[in-house]
Amino acid sequence: MTIQWWQILMLTLYAGLAFYDGNNTTFGTVKPTMAGFVAGLVLGDIRTGLMVGGTLNLLVLGIGNFGGASIPDYMTGALLGTVFAITSGQGAEFGVTLAIPIGLLMIQLDILARFSNTFFQHRAEKLVDKGEFDAAARMNLFGLIPQSLSRMLPVFLAVVFGSAFVELVVNNLPMWLMNGLKTAGGILPSLGIAILLRYLPVSKNITYLILGFFLAAYLKVPVLGAALVGLGLAILSFQMSNEKQAVQQESTVMAGGDMGDE
Amino acid sequence: MSKEKVMLTKEGNQVFWRWYFLGGCGWNYEKMQGLGYYFSMLPMIKRQTDPHVKKQLAKTELQFFNTNNTMAPIIMGVDCALQDSTGAQATDTIAALKTGMMGPLAGIGDTLFHVIPSTIIGSIASYMALEGSPLALILWVLFGLFRAFCMRSFFGMGYKEGAKIVSEIGNRLKKITQAANILGITVIGALIPSVVNARFAYEFTMGEVSISVQQLADQIMPSLAPTLVVFFAYWMLGRKKMNSTRVTLLLVAVGILAYNLKIFA
Repeated sequence: MTIQWWQILMLTLYAGLAFYDGNNTTFGTVKPTMAGFVAGLVLGDIRTGLMVGGTLNLLVLGIGNFGGASIPDYMTGALLGTVFAITSGQGAEFGVTLAIPIGLLMIQLDILARFSNTFFQHRAEKLVDKGEFDAAARMNLFGLIPQSLSRMLPVFLAVVFGSAFVELVVNNLPMWLMNGLKTAGGILPSLGIAILLRYLPVSKNITYLILGFFLAAYLKVPVLGAALVGLGLAILSFQMSNEKQAVQQESTVMAGGDMGDE
Repeated sequence: MSKEKVMLTKEGNQVFWRWYFLGGCGWNYEKMQGLGYYFSMLPMIKRQTDPHVKKQLAKTELQFFNTNNTMAPIIMGVDCALQDSTGAQATDTIAALKTGMMGPLAGIGDTLFHVIPSTIIGSIASYMALEGSPLALILWVLFGLFRAFCMRSFFGMGYKEGAKIVSEIGNRLKKITQAANILGITVIGALIPSVVNARFAYEFTMGEVSISVQQLADQIMPSLAPTLVVFFAYWMLGRKKMNSTRVTLLLVAVGILAYNLKIFA
């Protein structure tokens, strides 16, 4: 299919909005699943969008740009991956394999945008020195420009000019590579899981990891069902830690009372 | 937590909403959130009448600042309260307080408001998306509203209780974090067999009987291949000179190889 101008416009605007939302209001538009869904909605194939977005989202589950670390941008990846999957007619797995290098390349643009904003910081410092407080505050708003352009420009250019390139790739990619990439797409979510296993206090909570695995692997419970069991156990643990604290406080009060008697 | 309602000044309200909607715009490598913090505090700064004090305060608020977005309103609340109670002589105190509080709050906030919700909601939303349903995406919107509510309460608490709130809230949030970890780790356990897609392809042929490795693996444990792949990724991540980008590329290479060597289907 060929892409309409209004679709290009919507996708470009979404990229800018999602990046703003991710840094400020946080309603999930920056998550790859949401980006894939929206791209699918705009292009009239929600299912493919969800497949591309969902797979990419699993790669970056718990990763955040803490302290300004740049992370692979699979929001942009999911948008473009979905577009190329649908326009080329090659399906979601193909979209995912294109989205991964896109997401990795976006790291460089993210660094560039954050670097450009240093300029506005310097301007603001000079303006405060001159006593122009309002003008200095406006510098913060100008920071939006490099940030949103770093997402909107690549999306726009890729959607407008990328399709021809993607067609070229599709027509020249050998079968062994195409199928191999599909297998790779299947095992990639293990990375997101592995990152979380490294980050969260797993050894202390190994019971719950085994329990979740057991529920899904042996009993075929869907993830949402396993999450409900986890929620129940989390509430239990919270209640127990509250009770423990109450008991401890009580015993220290009693110990204090004893000492007073002597 | 007392239920007494905190009366925020007009400026206090403005500070909060400026941070909520636009605090992250000016992020830069040099002072990180410093520019956004200054932008948010502008209504408080402009209240000062003495030009010297005003400039001093403005410079203090423009300094390096970096913490979790959701937790920052606590610090801003304390900052506003200090300015209201001690006037503008407080610039040294404000500077010390901002740097003192941003570290501990960043650690708690990143775990509680980023890693854990991203894990839990992200897992559920991705899983349902792979099944073809966008319904779980609504969880993100609900989380966004919940987070806005938390930020608003944090601002009020900081404003009312001052700096002592940080250790208090830290203790309470630590308990919640521990409980949330349990939920997150259970979900991760369930994710391994649900979303990692790896099946053995190899088949033995002995005379007339052919046995597939996948059938053998299933007898040992369901989802053996996905589990092994996760262990591999986990092990690689722990190695020196490895980061998530390199492991991504490595996994792509492994996938292509495993398919062509007929290890994985």
